[in-house]
Amino acid sequence: MLLSLFFTFLKIGAFTIGGAYAMIPLIKQEVCKKRSWISEDEFLDGLAAAQSCPGPIAVNLSIYIGYHIRKGKGMAVAVLGTVLPSFISIILIAMLFTRFAEASLVRKAFHALRPAVVALIAVPLYQMSRTAGLKPGNFWFPLGIAVLVGFLNVSPVYLIVITIVYAIWQGLRMARK
Amino acid sequence: MIYLEMWFTFMKIGLFSFGGGYAILAMIRQEVVVKHPWLSASQFVDIVAISQMTPGPIAINAATFIGYQKAGILGAVLCTLGVITPSLLIMLIVTITYLKLKNQAWFKNVFSKLRLLSLGLIAAALIMLFGSVIADLFSIIVFTLSLSVTWKYKLNPFYLLLVAAGVGMLLG
Repeated sequence: MLLSLFFTFLKIGAFTIGGAYAMIPLIKQEVCKKRSWISEDEFLDGLAAAQSCPGPIAVNLSIYIGYHIRKGKGMAVAVLGTVLPSFISIILIAMLFTRFAEASLVRKAFHALRPAVVALIAVPLYQMSRTAGLKPGNFWFPLGIAVLVGFLNVSPVYLIVITIVYAIWQGLRMARK
Repeated sequence: MIYLEMWFTFMKIGLFSFGGGYAILAMIRQEVVVKHPWLSASQFVDIVAISQMTPGPIAINAATFIGYQKAGILGAVLCTLGVITPSLLIMLIVTITYLKLKNQAWFKNVFSKLRLLSLGLIAAALIMLFGSVIADLFSIIVFTLSLSVTWKYKLNPFYLLLVAAGVGMLLG
């Protein structure tokens, strides 16, 4: 179990290019469908938490999933798997090949990889909008976040803090009624 | 002494990086180019390019690279550990709290709002990437093909990325 946890996250770490978002469907498929380690609901909550906490999203998500499955040991193994491909490839490049980014074959490969990654972010966005409970009544909220962060460069920290404080206040008020 | 300072600097970077990916780069630049004389401005641009072209979270890539350049393997390990230290502490506390409270109504409400926030942040990342990436005809074609193949056939992202890398090397 720990070994398959390690290799699953090693695979996820190795294919996370240009940020964790493109890998969301893959992580979901591996941990929810293929291995049934956690439910889809727990996964979505974990993703939301990973985005709301400081640090790389892929690392945060691996801590959440690893701990869920095997407590401290699972967490350590999942984090190690996520970080190792990045660590090893960077050390190799730094040691052997500092001009890596200028190599024409690498540049060419990334010319196609980048648009593919953008497509990989676009598709799950639609699928997630249904599972995340998006309704006509609350559509303005994620849309507003996207505009504020994507176009106006507002730091997500403020939006995260405001959202959490508001949701706690609203929840406590509902509980009192 | 430099070891401790590097670990601490990257811990700070990890602690203040929210929303993932590119937002963190400005923070790293401030710390390693402006505040500490660890890298020149052009070395930093090289690191950004390399970080984008290698697997793994960008923050980890940058930390490993800068650590190695300044203080060898030990520096690389310390900077990488520094970036993930806040994650390890904070995310662990959040996960344990989640497992304890997930059936409480007010806690559920927090996560139902955070899920919507999460959607918005992903859409924001898409907006930011779209403008810089989908810039020429080749990118538009690759984007459209990837989108339709992923949508229709639910192709595993691994294979899509492998095929895209191959296509890029041949035609890019």
